[in-house]
Amino acid sequence: MTTSTFVAGNGILYALDARAKLLLVLLMCVLVFFPLSQLGLWVIFLSTLLMAWRATGFRQALQPLRSIAFILIIMVLFTPITYRGGTVLIHIGDWNLVTQEALWNLSTLMARFLAITYICTLYVWTTPMADINLALRWYGLSFQAAMVLTLAFRFIPFIADSFRMIQDSHALRMSDEQSVGKSRTQQLKDAIPTVTAALVFALKSIPHVAMSLEHRGLGRSPKRSSYRQLKAKGGLFTQLLVSVIIPTVFWILFIT
Amino acid sequence: MEQKGPANMSALRIALMAVLTAVVVVFTLIVRVPTPIKGYISLCDVIITFSAFLFGPWIAAIAGGLGTGIADLIGGYAQWAPLSFVIHGVQGLLIALIARAGVKQGVPGDAKLPMMILGGVVGMIVMAGGYYLAGGVLYGFEPALVEIPLNLIQSGVGLVLGIAVSKAVLKAYPPVRALAL
Amino acid sequence: MIEVSHLSFTYKSYAGRVNKPVFQDINLSVKQGERILILGAPDSGKSTMARILCNLVPRYIEGTLTGTIHMNDKPIQDLAPWELTNICTLVAQNPQEQLLMTTCADEVAFPLESLGVRREDLVSSVHSSLHKWGLSEMIEVNPQELSGGERKRLLVAVAEAINAPVWIMDEPFDDLDESWRTQLLQTIMHHEGTVVVFASRYLEEFRGSFSSYYLIDQGTLVKGSEEDIVIAFDKACDFQFAAHDAEILIPEKHRLQAQDLVIVHPRRSVSSTAPFTLKVPNISIESGEVVALVGPNGSGKSTLSRVLCGLDPVSQGDILYNEKPMSDKALRSRIGYLFQNPDFGIFLPTVKDELGWSLRHTSQLTTFEQEELIASSAALFHLHGEDNPTTMSYGARKHLQAAVYYVLNRPFYILDELDSGVTYAAAFEIVSLLRQRGAGIILITHDRAFANHIAERQYSIVDGVVYEREVGA
Repeated sequence: MTTSTFVAGNGILYALDARAKLLLVLLMCVLVFFPLSQLGLWVIFLSTLLMAWRATGFRQALQPLRSIAFILIIMVLFTPITYRGGTVLIHIGDWNLVTQEALWNLSTLMARFLAITYICTLYVWTTPMADINLALRWYGLSFQAAMVLTLAFRFIPFIADSFRMIQDSHALRMSDEQSVGKSRTQQLKDAIPTVTAALVFALKSIPHVAMSLEHRGLGRSPKRSSYRQLKAKGGLFTQLLVSVIIPTVFWILFIT
Repeated sequence: MEQKGPANMSALRIALMAVLTAVVVVFTLIVRVPTPIKGYISLCDVIITFSAFLFGPWIAAIAGGLGTGIADLIGGYAQWAPLSFVIHGVQGLLIALIARAGVKQGVPGDAKLPMMILGGVVGMIVMAGGYYLAGGVLYGFEPALVEIPLNLIQSGVGLVLGIAVSKAVLKAYPPVRALAL
Repeated sequence: MIEVSHLSFTYKSYAGRVNKPVFQDINLSVKQGERILILGAPDSGKSTMARILCNLVPRYIEGTLTGTIHMNDKPIQDLAPWELTNICTLVAQNPQEQLLMTTCADEVAFPLESLGVRREDLVSSVHSSLHKWGLSEMIEVNPQELSGGERKRLLVAVAEAINAPVWIMDEPFDDLDESWRTQLLQTIMHHEGTVVVFASRYLEEFRGSFSSYYLIDQGTLVKGSEEDIVIAFDKACDFQFAAHDAEILIPEKHRLQAQDLVIVHPRRSVSSTAPFTLKVPNISIESGEVVALVGPNGSGKSTLSRVLCGLDPVSQGDILYNEKPMSDKALRSRIGYLFQNPDFGIFLPTVKDELGWSLRHTSQLTTFEQEELIASSAALFHLHGEDNPTTMSYGARKHLQAAVYYVLNRPFYILDELDSGVTYAAAFEIVSLLRQRGAGIILITHDRAFANHIAERQYSIVDGVVYEREVGA
């Protein structure tokens, strides 16, 4: 099972420091909730789409759209319910299908949702998890918490593989007759052995992890050194400044 | 002379949180049924409930929040990650606080069934309610209503299986008691 | 350098019977610069002792410890494990128990970071130790993607990078190819410090290399000359279980066969992105036979097995059971597959429960008959009905895994690397017990000597094709 969130590509987003990018993501996600003009929201979204295209290519850039496609469809379908009053644009007899306010609202929500989706996704695509971890630590995440994050990623593939084998092991213990035509409750009951075995398997590894952590020096009091470092090209302060400037520019241009 | 594990040991705590988080991630991503809106319903709530019953509020909050957050990142739903972190984190926290109310710290398996059920129900409300609110803010409160039944089913299944699995694990693997901190 | 005095240890008993001590009144004295070899049969307490020497047990696995251990004249029980990081390094038998990080570089760097090594020195240590053990290409690769041998080498690389004076190595030669075993032996011999090696296989390469030889058996530690220790060790391995000579009854003859199979397996490997194709011109087995399936690591033995027992689909061809093609689901209830790791199936509180669980759902026997079968099977496999499976020894869990299938009475079994972690004698016994009810057995192994002793026929996998070969080839 792949745990990689990083997507290889090129462009400026890959060159920016993880800490500066995190600030940018935060500010942009907050910005889209401000009263910006319709144009502004769509411009923000389209810029993120273009950046995704530039960074990872067209097909990859469309991926987030696919993952939220159904939400967008539901949003469109629900327009008759929102903003019942107001200027009616389409109606069937007495029933107001679409009002201008509803369309306006739909447009705002869609642009905002799309923008947020792409902003967050781009961050994760262009920043390796190890760098995100270091960035969070720089912002104040404790060493213990960062350790939990790293260890979790170490264990995900291990537990995923073991889970599949556990499922197989149980499938082999069942007979022909049992595998056919089971009710939903029976299926859930049959999940209990597999889930229990998976949990016992995982729990058994915990003392070993703790042993290894302490054996490898976790808990030593002199300060730890660090193999990995974050380096900001042009200086971190400059990049952080840029991360503040960009949302500010959008704000100035499109605030109503 | 029998040596007991030191309480509140940093390394054991880290290991416990990390492994349970990984289990939540696996259960969120692998054991899942695709649905239109949120993407999938999964058995992650079984593990969150289990962690809450056996290990207490902070472990369950981290396992639930971090686990579902990471799963969102890996699964291609990065925009949901911080929201899942908060929602499932609070879910784990509250289930544990209610289910283990009155239980001594560090004694798994002593949670009483009625409190476990109450905690689980509160967890269901928090989870479904949390996603409703988050969805409402993100893309509108009316569309967000659609998710509620599925989320209730997911967390409901999580509660029922969580109770069954907690009992089963305590019986099958007695050393789990030493992991409680 | 290392002084162990009157050491006794017993694991905590949870359910069922009270545990026997793992060892009693052990004394050991290792001088600075010595390299010692401690031989012991599987489950004799080697890993337990290795962990105790690093003060990790009973800190993390409950039990009663008496006696003292001194390292460099300091009593280690007064120290926390992290205070021993720069004094003593453990190389675990199972790398999965020690690996912590998501890249090989981080794995080497982590203990050095704990020791506060300066960044420049850190980086060069990482590169040089990984290079020495052939892992330069894997520097940013996730250790989960490495093979067993590569992970072992990674652990040794970490030990070298830390460069502590004492190395405690638990079965370090396992899983390594010959050239790496040679390098490991050289590294051990040239290490400026003290090395304790635990092993359950005496390799010819060891001859004359170590300064002292010990045997750990039945809870005691005995020192002796190299020859004496090796002879006593062989005896200890065979002593645990006697081979079964019972008659084989074959109530019904069955035949499993596959012809012109093609299996395509999407390879999740570091070195290749191409899918892995396995061709099987002909493979067959009948009730009562023992057939070996041999090949190097990664050749496809598990892939083929998973297909034969219906877990994975074939790309081309059919699997015939008694001349009739059979579906995946049907195969699953006729062919048992014993995974190398026995822990995948365990989820119930007692041995009796585990044996009875699948019986209850599948069998036509009455309750009384079921209980009889469970009791007799448990006895046959040296198990006690009230024991808790998760806290039994590794060898006992392997026996439980076999007993579960014995009770299910499948016509065919595939045993994956049965001989790893149990003595040859125990492995023979498991095979003969499973054969008793007439089953045909496919034995996966990369130990040709083991195959030689036990199999009547053999299939070898060479470059993605399965050939029938002479046994032992």
